Amino acid sequence: MTMTESPPSEAAESTEPVAATPGAGLYDALTTSDHKAIGRIWLRLGLLLLLGVAVLGVLVALEGTSADGADVFGGVNAVWQMQGLYSVGLVLLVVPALTIGLATIVVPMQVGSSNIAFPRAAAAAAWGFVVGVAIMVVSVLAGGGWGALDGVSGGEADAIELTLLGMGMVAASILLACICLATTVVSLRTPGMGLMKTPLFAWSILVSASVWILTLPVLIANLIIIVVDLRGGPLLFGNPEGTTMIFDQVHWVLEQPAVFVLGIPVLGIIGSIVPVVAGARHIAHAGLMAAIGVAGLLAVGGWSQPAFSDQRDELLFVAFGLLAVVPVLASLALNSLTLAKAGPQVGLPPAQLLGALGAGLLLLLGTGAGALRVIGPFDLIGTGADAGVVHLVAYAAVVGLAAGMWFWASKIGGYALPNAAGLGVMLDFIGAAVLMGAAHVLIGFDFASGLNDAMAWVVFVGAILAVLGAVGVVSSVASAKRSGDEPGDDPWHGHTLEWATVTPVPAGNFVGALARVTSEAPLLDVAEQADSDEGGAS
Amino acid sequence: MTATARLPSPALRRPRTVLVGTLFASATAAMVYFGVLALYVSRRAEARLLGIEWFPEGVVELGPSGWIFWTLIMSSFTVQWAVQAIRNEDRPNAYVALGLTMLFGAAVFNQMWFILNDTGFALDASEAQFLFFVLNGTFITFLILAMAFLFLTALRAMFGQYSPRQNDGVPAAAMFWHTVAAMYWVTWIAVYVTK
Repeated sequence: MTMTESPPSEAAESTEPVAATPGAGLYDALTTSDHKAIGRIWLRLGLLLLLGVAVLGVLVALEGTSADGADVFGGVNAVWQMQGLYSVGLVLLVVPALTIGLATIVVPMQVGSSNIAFPRAAAAAAWGFVVGVAIMVVSVLAGGGWGALDGVSGGEADAIELTLLGMGMVAASILLACICLATTVVSLRTPGMGLMKTPLFAWSILVSASVWILTLPVLIANLIIIVVDLRGGPLLFGNPEGTTMIFDQVHWVLEQPAVFVLGIPVLGIIGSIVPVVAGARHIAHAGLMAAIGVAGLLAVGGWSQPAFSDQRDELLFVAFGLLAVVPVLASLALNSLTLAKAGPQVGLPPAQLLGALGAGLLLLLGTGAGALRVIGPFDLIGTGADAGVVHLVAYAAVVGLAAGMWFWASKIGGYALPNAAGLGVMLDFIGAAVLMGAAHVLIGFDFASGLNDAMAWVVFVGAILAVLGAVGVVSSVASAKRSGDEPGDDPWHGHTLEWATVTPVPAGNFVGALARVTSEAPLLDVAEQADSDEGGAS
Repeated sequence: MTATARLPSPALRRPRTVLVGTLFASATAAMVYFGVLALYVSRRAEARLLGIEWFPEGVVELGPSGWIFWTLIMSSFTVQWAVQAIRNEDRPNAYVALGLTMLFGAAVFNQMWFILNDTGFALDASEAQFLFFVLNGTFITFLILAMAFLFLTALRAMFGQYSPRQNDGVPAAAMFWHTVAAMYWVTWIAVYVTK
């Protein structure tokens, strides 16, 4: 049996908290180097973006419901730009912001570190992301975007360059945050926590950060070439006045395999919640780590850009698409076996478990749809199935991240999120993902035009559910903050080190030194040791 | 029980945060650069398939680019010399090695500038010339970043930082330097040797 040499909880209780978490003022937010405050900046922005993108999704879906064009945006260029903003917003803004926010708060605690590596760089990444998003959104609203369908004026051509600059800033900010997070997991783990004893969420963040580090620079390379081309090159990527080639060159980052990176943290969140629900350690921690690692390998996507001829007909692309299902299936199977072996324990509200398992199943659907998409005879590439895969995977990530927010709420903000609202939020997002994902895939199959029209309305209903879910998350956080209920230091009897500290978490995270860790579930070791001592004494 | 019990406990291992962070940053930089290079190579292959001449004969010469190749190999040795010197607390040697590496960097910058002028290429003349400019411009940007990193490291060393136990900054700067050098070595083969 593995165990810690002395209980981390005792170490945590040995002294008083050093200082409270910095306040929420603008000056504090701008100058903070505390990972929790930086993470909250990402999370707030992520929730705001989720709300905005969900509303935009409703408008885009409404536009798609009419065969004649509902003309919601007032022109073919505007429709095309808003569709681009919606896709980019979902894949490059919402999910990364929420993922990085949750990870920036939880990962340092989970690995037993007092802070994130390079905290000032992490803060710069958060604010760089804010500026990048602002530039991108404003420039698209000014007529920019990723090219145009029927010609643009000179001012709009400038706005296109501004959009690309904003996109580059967003990518660079995500990369900077990834470097900070990956470095934290690699070099700031507490003594005794070897890489194979890393908690699954921290491991999944290391994997997804590494995948982003291998993928997003290729997007930046694309953007550099396109911007220089537009500024004075031979217009290799087409004249901005009447071309869609810019979007053609960068949309690979919104498609499989690159889009599967969004699902990797979901596997880590499931792996963190399930053993706590089961009240037992995973039956195969190393197997889950391997599954997450393989999922990461299959999500590296820079090679699949259309500039390298059309890779999408080639064996590697097909193999990546088909194999992506395997690690997700393996991860779900191992988590299910852990649950089945131990039997669910009472204590953890069902919202987290519903969210975690729902996210896992959505991810399975998403990778499954991706596998269908790469099978040549179905001829699904370039059809609605593209959007189907993106919706399933991106909303799997949103559901998983929402489950993570409910699970770690006490460590994020010192509050407890209401379970009933959580159930509603998870069901909303799961419903949204299933409706939008399945309807888009069916549109891709193009069975009949009447069915396609009906499916467009299904997408619209799904988009409305997504808005309800987003409103649910925001209102839950707001009401939890107002209620002032104290959730306690370890409300779920968690297994990993973030539950060894007090709530609200003080600056420096842990008061006193942590004991040497000897397994991936140090607090479970302590509980088992205590049970064993009690048994021996009686 | 034994003699080992009387030995002092080993010093706690310092987290090598700067080195690990630089490893990830170097991977990021390499992926940006190789992203541009991959596009260059794929467009060139496409042009060849269509029978389009990529560069006019004899314009891009192997000689000047070869000098950069060898200069960067020498610089990789000198930057590693600096790493070893700082580990041995041999500061004069470390300063000389860092200074030499930056000198080699300046020489590479000068030679790159010469190549860009010597070819007579224009940014908007053709796809080949445009991509040649972007590729070399990206390399020069990373070269400047690597030189700035080395300069800051040298300054910190001169002001008394780094010791045999705590010297992460110098190996980190060296790692980034090696990455930038590797960028050019690959480019030399992919762009200058196999035109």
